[in-house]
Amino acid sequence: MTPRQRVLKTTLWAIVGVLLVVTFARFSTGLGATTGLSDAAPWGFWIAFDVMAGVALAAGGFVLAATVYIFGLERYRPFVRPAILTAFLGYIAVAVGLTYDLGLPWHIWHPAIYPQPHSVLFEVAMCVMLYLTVLLLEFAPVILEHRAFNRPVFNALHRGLKRGAIVFVIAGIVLSSLHQSSLGSLYLIAPFRLHPLWYSPIIWVLFLVSAIGLGLMTVTLESYFSAWYFGHPLRMGLLPGLGRAASVVLLLYAALRLGDLGARGVLEQAFDGSFLANLFLFELGLSAVVPGVLLLVPAVRRSPRGLGIAALMTVFGMVGYRFDVCVVAFDRPAGTSYFPTWPEVAVSVGIVAVALLVFIFFVEKLKVYPEADEVEAERSRAEQARKRFDPGSLLPMTPDSIGAPRRHSLALVFGLAFAVALLPSDALFGAQPAATPVEGPRTVDGYAVARDSGQGTEFILAGAGQDIPKDAAPVELRLIDGNRDGRLVPFPHDAHVERMSGAESCAQCHHQNLPLQKNSSCASCHRDMYSVSDTFDHQEHIDALDGNQSCQRCHRDPHQPKTRATATPCADCHRDMVVEGSRVQPPKEGLKGFAPGYMDAMHELCVTCHQEQAKAEPEKLGETFGECTTCHRELDGSVLRRLAPYQPRTGGGQQTD
Amino acid sequence: MSAVQAILTDTTRCTGCEQCVEACRAENRLGEDAPRRWKRSIDDLSSTRYTTIIRRPGNRFVRQQCRHCARPACVSACIVGALHKRPEGPVTYDPDRCMGCRYCMMACPYGIPRYDWEAAVPFVRKCTLCYHRLEAGKQPACTEACPHEATVFGDREALIAEAHRRIEAEPQKYQNAVMGETEVGGTSVLYVSDIPLDFLAFKPELGEQPLDDLTWAALSKVPPMVVGVGTLMAGIWWVSGRRRKLAAEAARTEDESRSQPEPEPEADADADDDEERS
Repeated sequence: MTPRQRVLKTTLWAIVGVLLVVTFARFSTGLGATTGLSDAAPWGFWIAFDVMAGVALAAGGFVLAATVYIFGLERYRPFVRPAILTAFLGYIAVAVGLTYDLGLPWHIWHPAIYPQPHSVLFEVAMCVMLYLTVLLLEFAPVILEHRAFNRPVFNALHRGLKRGAIVFVIAGIVLSSLHQSSLGSLYLIAPFRLHPLWYSPIIWVLFLVSAIGLGLMTVTLESYFSAWYFGHPLRMGLLPGLGRAASVVLLLYAALRLGDLGARGVLEQAFDGSFLANLFLFELGLSAVVPGVLLLVPAVRRSPRGLGIAALMTVFGMVGYRFDVCVVAFDRPAGTSYFPTWPEVAVSVGIVAVALLVFIFFVEKLKVYPEADEVEAERSRAEQARKRFDPGSLLPMTPDSIGAPRRHSLALVFGLAFAVALLPSDALFGAQPAATPVEGPRTVDGYAVARDSGQGTEFILAGAGQDIPKDAAPVELRLIDGNRDGRLVPFPHDAHVERMSGAESCAQCHHQNLPLQKNSSCASCHRDMYSVSDTFDHQEHIDALDGNQSCQRCHRDPHQPKTRATATPCADCHRDMVVEGSRVQPPKEGLKGFAPGYMDAMHELCVTCHQEQAKAEPEKLGETFGECTTCHRELDGSVLRRLAPYQPRTGGGQQTD
Repeated sequence: MSAVQAILTDTTRCTGCEQCVEACRAENRLGEDAPRRWKRSIDDLSSTRYTTIIRRPGNRFVRQQCRHCARPACVSACIVGALHKRPEGPVTYDPDRCMGCRYCMMACPYGIPRYDWEAAVPFVRKCTLCYHRLEAGKQPACTEACPHEATVFGDREALIAEAHRRIEAEPQKYQNAVMGETEVGGTSVLYVSDIPLDFLAFKPELGEQPLDDLTWAALSKVPPMVVGVGTLMAGIWWVSGRRRKLAAEAARTEDESRSQPEPEPEADADADDDEERS
């Protein structure tokens, strides 16, 4: 192994270790705990990358098969086997990636027994399934050429497969053009959710044409990889030909896309400067326009660097196109967002790593590249010659005495440990209910001033520009987000410790977290302030009067403690709350008794009983006795805020005195 | 029950008492709501809440639920036919068929279907118009529970007529449209309202065309595409093969100057290999 092979393989094995951990997490705790997916973004990174981009990246298989077998351009034959192998592994990776994304992956075979031919996804599934079979048949001869299969029966099979090759190739082209385009057709159903710069009635044509261009460029990049990794010669005699074909396809794609936008009259939206418009321009430029034009120039496509850069641009741009359609330009309700979690990305990267390892394995064992034999012989000679020192390897960890399997196992274990350490707790223990966000506490200097009334203490923040009375005592104040509404209030920690009987009292506040951390706020002790009574809901007033800053609108005197006794009487604001002659009246003296809430209070206290009575004595009370309108007449804007004067209904039975 | 059934919700009558939500919870055994990462608020539609009340400014309350489209995008999208449009109106779900691809959630123009994100064995969750109750001759739990007939169940035609009657009786009070009458082919959940319902995704651009028409336009081209692409490829193969054969013959009989340049070493290697094995 050369140093770069050693480093790459070891890295890939470490990634496989990470993949194993996230795989376990994904299938044991579910999608919600391990991904960023949500009801607003049901399809995310996995569909965009593993499926949409994966299928498109594997398009090289059918494009090269068509080039050589159908169009008879024999000189491109050296690219066919690697392209078919890439496509084969690519489609297996798509299928494996899909099992992570499906909620019930053990039902993945259901499309075969519950066909639903009106679904585009059904057509995609069928085509991918069949094409995977075709790819296996196309690649099987390469496997059968291995000396382990040198038996009469396998040789006969090999001959049969070779003879039927043209049938498989045509079937593969038909299936590929169907599902490559149908991946675009999937989005035809969502005209109101996919942004108009991406939604198009011909999106299926765009997906097919872009996949052909991308397939050619993937095959090109694959040659670069095999040159870099296996030391194969870079076929600069043939690659520019692929580049020229790609440039035609890519420019055709760009023309179709722009022409379609123009025909639908949304082209000007691409230049309105919004984020999505700029993204569209960037994506189209990166994926098609720039590489397409670059490759038109003979000097560029004949230079290894120029061709490689153009191919990289196309690959990134076209993968970006899939991401945009799938995630970025797909509308979500306001207030929702999607960003993949690291386990999501790790799954996709891990599947690519496994595919790459299998690819390398096949290339090492089978005759995927025509020059395999010579290169292999030369490599083993070079290996023999340079046995001792190897600066490219992971030197301290991998002395020569440690063989590749042990090094790979070590890397795998390292990857496992790394992933376990980084795994979010939800991914280990299942999705937990979201905690209410809370601002962290801050400590500030302040002053305590005794109130004139003798009740409680007033706190003044230092440096707030207020006059500080002479008898003010400096104290350390803590600002806490007691109501979990993002607004900090001064909190005398020392005073609380003292009042709660000393140092042993910590747990009374700090270990009383209620379920979901919803109510372990100030209000969990200071109930009189926050509990809603049968006639008064404090929180509703805070909401209606502009939040925490509105305290003084009812508690007008800052020198008084903010209690019910010192608050502005309800009737000062609610002047017409109780209409003259109402049967239901608020208690005359004192506000006693707590109810869960105003609405609940009313519904528990009045409506429930009304409804029961209406059922029990319909002829006496009338059928409408259980309805809101019995008490709340003339429902208008204020609906249930006001009680109409009680008037017996006409029509129904009347109560007698 | 053969005629198409529907629900009519009149937002001017809704007081937000949530009796419908509680009835739905009890009927479908939905359990407790919990705050979750994938919910905007605790009373968002979720796998534990098939219907909810959205509070709008000015004390308006609007019930959100599955619209039960006449030509549902979700049903046309479902790869395994787990979602069904029943002749009585409801769109129902068969968890035994579902494979969890969530294409229905992508397809729904109203963004209704919810997923059991918290579960290791998740299903799609949405209102089924209480199809099991309809089969038993009863009305949905929600409409039965509504104390002021703000949401009522009945024959779709009759409810549309009633909705128009209400709008005509008080044109100054209502928005002049019965939401769900024609949107994407019509729905079995209708709304009359005094406020615009764009927050329920009743967007003006929805139009009257059912969404499955759009995908069918592409899907119906599959058989001709199979035949067309297959024939074209076979034809090109035949022509290019014939041309090569003729060129090879010509090269054999005539001078070397007419023959194709550069013999392909790789192709030869492949051919040699074939011969070796046979």
